[in-house]
Amino acid sequence: MVCKGRGPAPRDRGNPLEQLLQHGANALILGGTYALLGIGLTLIFGIMRVVNFTHGELYAFGAYMMYLWVMRLHVNFFVALLLAVALGVALGALIEYVLLRRLRSSDIDTTMLVMIGAWIAMQNTEQLIWSGVAQSISAPFPSQPLQIGHVYIGWDRLFVFVTALALIGLAYYLINRTKLGKAMRATFQDRETAMLMGIDVHLVNTATFAMGSGLAAAAGALLGPVFVVQPSMGDLASLKAFAIVILGGLGNITGATVGGFILAFMEELGAGYISSGFRDGMGFLVIILILIFRPTGLFAQKERIG
Amino acid sequence: MLFRLSSIVLAMTATAVLAGPALAQETIKIGVTEPLTGAFAASGNYVTQGARIAEDEINKAGGVLGKKIQLIVEDNKSNPTEAVATAEKLINSDKVPVMMGAWSSTLTLAVMPKLEEYKIPMLVETSSSDKITTSGNPYIFRISPTSGMEARAFTPLVKKLGIKKADFLATNNDFGLGASKAFSEMAKNAGVKIGVVETMDPNATDFSAQLAKIKASGGDTLFVTTAVEQITLILKQANDLQLKTRIITTGGSNAPDQLIEQAGAAANGSMHLVFFTPWFPDAVKNPEIAKKFVSIWNDKKYNVGGLTEGFRGWDGIYTIVAGIKAAGSADPAAITKALWNVKVKGINGDIAFIKQGPAGKESAQNVPSVYLVKIEGGKVVRD
Amino acid sequence: MRRLATAAWLLVLVSAPLWLRSPYFLHVLIITGIFTIAAMSLNLLLGYTGQLSLGHVAFFGIGAYTSALMSLGFDIDLTDTFKLVVEPKPVALSFAVAIAASALFGWLIGRLSFKVRGAYFVIVSLSFAEVVRLVALNWVSLTQGPMALNNIPPVSVWLPGIGEYRFLGKVPNYYLMLAVAVVSYVVIARLVRSRAGRAMIALRENEALATSVGVDVTRYLVLATIVSAAMAGAAGALYAHYVRIVDPDIFLFIYTVTMVIMVVTGGKGTLAGPIVGGIIFGIVPQVLRDMAGPEVQWIIYGILMIVIVYFLPKGIVPALRDGLQRRRHVRDAGIDPLASAPPAEAAQRR
Repeated sequence: MVCKGRGPAPRDRGNPLEQLLQHGANALILGGTYALLGIGLTLIFGIMRVVNFTHGELYAFGAYMMYLWVMRLHVNFFVALLLAVALGVALGALIEYVLLRRLRSSDIDTTMLVMIGAWIAMQNTEQLIWSGVAQSISAPFPSQPLQIGHVYIGWDRLFVFVTALALIGLAYYLINRTKLGKAMRATFQDRETAMLMGIDVHLVNTATFAMGSGLAAAAGALLGPVFVVQPSMGDLASLKAFAIVILGGLGNITGATVGGFILAFMEELGAGYISSGFRDGMGFLVIILILIFRPTGLFAQKERIG
Repeated sequence: MLFRLSSIVLAMTATAVLAGPALAQETIKIGVTEPLTGAFAASGNYVTQGARIAEDEINKAGGVLGKKIQLIVEDNKSNPTEAVATAEKLINSDKVPVMMGAWSSTLTLAVMPKLEEYKIPMLVETSSSDKITTSGNPYIFRISPTSGMEARAFTPLVKKLGIKKADFLATNNDFGLGASKAFSEMAKNAGVKIGVVETMDPNATDFSAQLAKIKASGGDTLFVTTAVEQITLILKQANDLQLKTRIITTGGSNAPDQLIEQAGAAANGSMHLVFFTPWFPDAVKNPEIAKKFVSIWNDKKYNVGGLTEGFRGWDGIYTIVAGIKAAGSADPAAITKALWNVKVKGINGDIAFIKQGPAGKESAQNVPSVYLVKIEGGKVVRD
Repeated sequence: MRRLATAAWLLVLVSAPLWLRSPYFLHVLIITGIFTIAAMSLNLLLGYTGQLSLGHVAFFGIGAYTSALMSLGFDIDLTDTFKLVVEPKPVALSFAVAIAASALFGWLIGRLSFKVRGAYFVIVSLSFAEVVRLVALNWVSLTQGPMALNNIPPVSVWLPGIGEYRFLGKVPNYYLMLAVAVVSYVVIARLVRSRAGRAMIALRENEALATSVGVDVTRYLVLATIVSAAMAGAAGALYAHYVRIVDPDIFLFIYTVTMVIMVVTGGKGTLAGPIVGGIIFGIVPQVLRDMAGPEVQWIIYGILMIVIVYFLPKGIVPALRDGLQRRRHVRDAGIDPLASAPPAEAAQRR
């Protein structure tokens, strides 16, 4: 197989350690947002057993909200960020209430098909409203990147990293330290018993879907200004989120967090040292490898039934 | 039961099919296939806007051969298979006698066999791959320059800019790869050392891996060939990595105004090869025509960044109409023959066709002008 | 009655090129037919064994690329010195190889699905399709990547007395497609009504129970995937030699979605379902082309899918069948259809 893009011999390349550190920094930053995507989906997938195809659309929604508020309505960047996440949460709750609640008795195939329908409708609505042309969002950060030794980090990316970590922390707090979180964990462990114990499973479902969607929207809102915003951006995000969920194990948010970083590292190192074209393929390679060798994921304690 | 339902479906579709076309109006149709969605959406939309301006102007002036022209625009979705589908539809369903398209070289190459099969001429307004006019397809009339021509026009600038070692970053299709090849050959012949030649997927948004390699290669100039969305990201990410090399974009789909708007300070210092300089219309051969186009464009409040591509649609339609006029009819064979002899005063310059390609099956190629501009302090300046 | 209906249908389809005015519409029928064949193959997996494969387009694309590459000829640099060169092969042979290649990958996926079920299988199949797409996109020296494989030769067969006959143009390809479609239908019908078919349905309804009574679940699952993949591969090869250009976008998820929509709305687990679904989602978009933009159309399909899942969860064909059965039952038994007591029919498990 002939690989493309092999540069000159290592001796000409400059300090390889610096290159590695740069790749590492890039991966760390991307990993934060991937973790957000993964946590959101693993909650939905784990607690509600729904194959959520709209996850990527919430990601795109978050980015488009940033575009709307910042570029069209000239709202302050940070306020727009809060708005985007809040709207993401609201949209998630709406989807759950309107589409999923009535399907509670159905099997996983049916809900999945409904999700696919919703995904198609959402993405094309976005395309109808904003057209297929990619849009940029300007961010209020200095354009001169931060320099640490020979490693460069753009300020916008640094902001993304810090915010992502904060949101991950928030998610942990919600799941592990609040009553709602406890209800969610209980429902995840054993749905029937949770119902018997008086937990309002409907509320848990809505909260889970809303929270998961909010995290996806946050990831989109954070990355939108770094890259570009276009209607199809959610598709790849969805698939990577699935990869992370499989890596980390269903319903396992620690697993999802670590999984997000692992995926980012694999992508960055793969793109940097093997082939730049396969960056986005790493996620799927991961899925297939894990499912062949360790189907329950790297961290899952609970045994997976189909 | 199944019979009943399916009979209904069949009846519905049969009605749609057998019912004749809507009352035919007296217009001359021109088929346009452009990427209105997908990786090249921005450019495709600009070209179409330019074409529509031309359509309006021509119809206001009475049309051609006593009839109005009608542009039938189909979206090829930046995808070769879709491009073929649009060609099928335009030729077989809309029965257009002449086409314009398909923007990217890959898309145009995909459509070319259909042109030969149905004997319909097509005006190529943007594609730059050499293959298009050297494959022996006599239905191709190209007004945009080949990558080879662009590279040749650039040659004297190698010395002027003092280029010693060059790297290349291009999108992974005929457009980008053709440009990389043409420019690296030109550079080699001019005594420049060749660094790394990197590529990326037309839909990619993260180039940190490629840029890191380019940074490590130590060249002084980076030639970038891709569509404007990716150039924006490349400039931003190059800035993030503090890549100090001079960036020169080729291919003409670089919309410097859009780069300034979306990449901000990261765009400063970059240079761009364009085929129209709306910022200094006096630099082109037919300044009056250029100025008029710019003012109509701005009146319509189209994105000012799109001027460097929109003009292609305008030049293309005017060329086609000149061909129809010379042919004296809307017959594809007559138009094909007549196009060879047209002389049009276009925005880029004067348009006329020379023969190119294998003897007996030549394609038509125009020799357009090429300009180099620089972005400095948030503005486009001459170089 | 049923035989008459089928015969009438066949007559209509076979004579289509004679009374269809627009060659463009014939083109639409051919493409619809090809995707319907793929939908029928997906139905075998989704409808009869209950496995939702969302990577089905991978088999379609593998069939397309294999047939195209075999008929165009290709070379691969295996190492720095050794190059594998394959000369262009006759299309009929390429077609056969394509079916075999798809079947092989079907077998692989079938084996993999033994370990993995339900939602996880969905994700694996999805990932498989994406990986194949990225390989097609990046292995430029073999597949030409985004520049597409051009000038693929049309299907040609050697007929005694006539010599080489090339299926060039719409009419011959239409009949070729029809032939493949009929063969596929017959294969599936036979399979489903056979012992293997009953085993597959048992697998779908209650896997644990089926295993406990000794049904070799894996074997039938693998068989279903092989047949399903081979059929999708055939559809892909048809596509490659008709459209004569293949690019990596053929692996896009949206095509799998199209097939899924066809199967689900038509009625999964029925023989006629994918055909009805195919007609609706293949032809209607073309008819609507001038009336509504593509985005609006897709929004309608998305909503339609949701609505059908809600109100006609089994699909159109079973809903009609049930509706007619109920009416017949009512008529036969002299029951007042407005009375409250529901008819005593066996409770459906799904």
